[in-house]
Amino acid sequence: MSTSSVLRSVVVVAASALVLAGCAPAPETSETASDYCARMVTNSGGLEDRSFNQSSWEGLEKAKADLSIDAEVIVSTNETDLAPNVTQAVDSGCQFVLTVGYELADATTAAAKANPDVHFAIVDEQVDGENIKPIVFDTAQAAYLAGYLAAGTSATGKVATFGGGNQPPVTLFMDGFVDGVAKYNAVHGTAVQALGWNKDAQDGVFTGDFEDINKGKVTTQAFIDQGADVILPVAGQVGEGAAAAALENPNVSIVWVDNDGYETLPATYKSIILTSVLKNTGDAVVQIVGDDLDGSFDNTPFVGTLENGGVALAPYHDKAAAVTPELQAELDGLKADIVSGALEVTSPSTP
Amino acid sequence: MTIQDAPLQHNHPDSVPPALEKTVVKSWKAPIAFGIFSIIAILLFVVFGREGVSGFRLSTDSDFVQIPTIEAPTRATGIVLTVLLVALAAYSAFLVSRNRPVRLWITVVFALLFLVAFLTWAAAGATIPVPGLLVGAVGLSVPLVFGALGGVISERVGVVNVAIEGQLLAGAFVSAVVASVTGQAVLGLISAMAAGVLVSFVLAAFSIKYFVDQVIVGVVLNVLVTGLTSFLYSQVLTKNTDLLNNSATIRLPRLPIPGLSEIPILGPVLFRQTIIVYILYVAVAVVFFALFKTRWGLRLRAVGEHPQAADTVGINVARTRFWNVSLAGAIAGLGGAYFTMGSVGSFNKEMTAGAGFIALAAVIFGRWDPIRATLAALLFGFASNLQSVLSIIGSPVPSEFMLMLPYLVTIFAVAGVVGRVRGPAASGKAYIKS
Repeated sequence: MSTSSVLRSVVVVAASALVLAGCAPAPETSETASDYCARMVTNSGGLEDRSFNQSSWEGLEKAKADLSIDAEVIVSTNETDLAPNVTQAVDSGCQFVLTVGYELADATTAAAKANPDVHFAIVDEQVDGENIKPIVFDTAQAAYLAGYLAAGTSATGKVATFGGGNQPPVTLFMDGFVDGVAKYNAVHGTAVQALGWNKDAQDGVFTGDFEDINKGKVTTQAFIDQGADVILPVAGQVGEGAAAAALENPNVSIVWVDNDGYETLPATYKSIILTSVLKNTGDAVVQIVGDDLDGSFDNTPFVGTLENGGVALAPYHDKAAAVTPELQAELDGLKADIVSGALEVTSPSTP
Repeated sequence: MTIQDAPLQHNHPDSVPPALEKTVVKSWKAPIAFGIFSIIAILLFVVFGREGVSGFRLSTDSDFVQIPTIEAPTRATGIVLTVLLVALAAYSAFLVSRNRPVRLWITVVFALLFLVAFLTWAAAGATIPVPGLLVGAVGLSVPLVFGALGGVISERVGVVNVAIEGQLLAGAFVSAVVASVTGQAVLGLISAMAAGVLVSFVLAAFSIKYFVDQVIVGVVLNVLVTGLTSFLYSQVLTKNTDLLNNSATIRLPRLPIPGLSEIPILGPVLFRQTIIVYILYVAVAVVFFALFKTRWGLRLRAVGEHPQAADTVGINVARTRFWNVSLAGAIAGLGGAYFTMGSVGSFNKEMTAGAGFIALAAVIFGRWDPIRATLAALLFGFASNLQSVLSIIGSPVPSEFMLMLPYLVTIFAVAGVVGRVRGPAASGKAYIKS
């Protein structure tokens, strides 16, 4: 193969990339009173991931409007983009850089060491550093309520959960979920089974990635074949496959994660969303940017809990009729106990 | 999954026979493989056997004919099956020592017995829904089979098709948008094929007209389609989901075939599917027949094996390659439509998740033969779903190891069973007419 032929193909790709770049909307810049500016770097999931990238950016956009600061996002499309994008964010001269996800942990640590004057925050990862504030969520607390709710609404006596990969932010949900089911059994003397996760062994069912929706659908169907009728997928867009499988089977419902699936998923799935385990990343981002503007930035981790509203259970929407007032009263009691500290939800992955 | 053609690969006559006498070839490959698996069976099913009862549910709730669930004592069944496996291994060794070939049926029976023994062991204290296991396997295999058929045609005509992944993804994207906007399933399927053809046009133009290295073009196309669809998804589709990516209009209904869909086990697996899967059955048969029984197929293979000879007898090599690579793109594009229209109902970024590369492996594993490639794709789908089902019923194997299962099976199958393979001679080589 000749060099010119390689060149030719490279030129074609470069040209198409240029054409595509032309389609993107011009970067939004706004004149602000202060010269404070913030930059965000997404992980390879991109901006419209219906997950933490999206909610973090919504938070930053809200901060931009409320606090009249300048904010822009740098989108990573694959893992080789991560470190260069963090560098680009730092080189913009902004005071605050927000990175999202465990993939960016190393790049953020390195950039923070090299730039002690810039303030960093990283979503969903515990990172040590003088000038890095980790934003983490104890999702097990809300997932605990979801597990209790699932056990209380299951007609078959079997509920299930699966993840995209065996990583702490994922298994944290699963730990809380199976503990919630166990709590329901302890209170009611029932024997509701939680399939897909063994808390003691810290192992369970994983699809292996966060992209293969078809695999998510087939895996969920296998759960349904085993009799499960409430399923919690913790696997990003793979969870949409779970919703598709639930739609094809009568009386199966889904517990969505990160955001309210009733709002973010296609409308077809509204009828099968029991609830969602919410992670209010946006509010946390607004708060932290506000603190940084006031000069009260510190590196103690922000931990979202039921108490501070960082995590929560979403409304039941169309499934409200499935939740009896008694069950709701029990859930409210549990929530109060968790907030007061009378009940502790534990997990090896707790931040 | 065959052990045969051994004489062609190991030509070591153990004695020098007089002329015109049959050369006898000894191949110990099969007995050794059987022996290794027998030892695994003894260790796993007998020495470390699990107690309990293993259940196999053979009917779904909606079946007309209900077959009762089979319940077998785990350890006893394991021992019986292991004895059978050891006996088969010994029999094959006996056959080879007597200079007799180990027939294909022995391999098939051995593999099936081992599979049943493994399932019995894994299902101790639980029930495996057999139709569910197979339905899922087909569900995961469909796009792989389409991709593999496209790969077979393209490589048989002499163009290495690394762009299957891109063709699947393009098909998935375009079919979702067209079906969503028009509400017409037929238009969705046709546009999926058109999208695959467009990707193929680029591959064909660069590799046939400009003699660019085919593998490089294929890889670049995959990256291009991934970037393009991800960009359009986040910039266009997410802005207007109800119009452009509406799963209510995109998803195809399941069409059970009256009568056939009531056959126990096979009915739910094969005949309660969407139209895409029925098209697949026809496509496999048609491609096989056309490739080996028609003039079109003969010309196609001639161009892929020896383009100069084909040119000499008046076949237009460039044109034959161009249109058949396009056809391959159409088939792979249709496979892409399975992800959106046949399965999930809406497009998402990178949702093909590497299926195109597994399809490419299936092409080679299936020795560039449509039927074998289909079987290879089904094997991968089965292993993949087996992994899910086993982790759900709580197998003692760690999940990270289980996730390797489909790939392990494929590697073993390619390396151990298929052995040395020879692709079309001119595949990957540009034909420069002098």
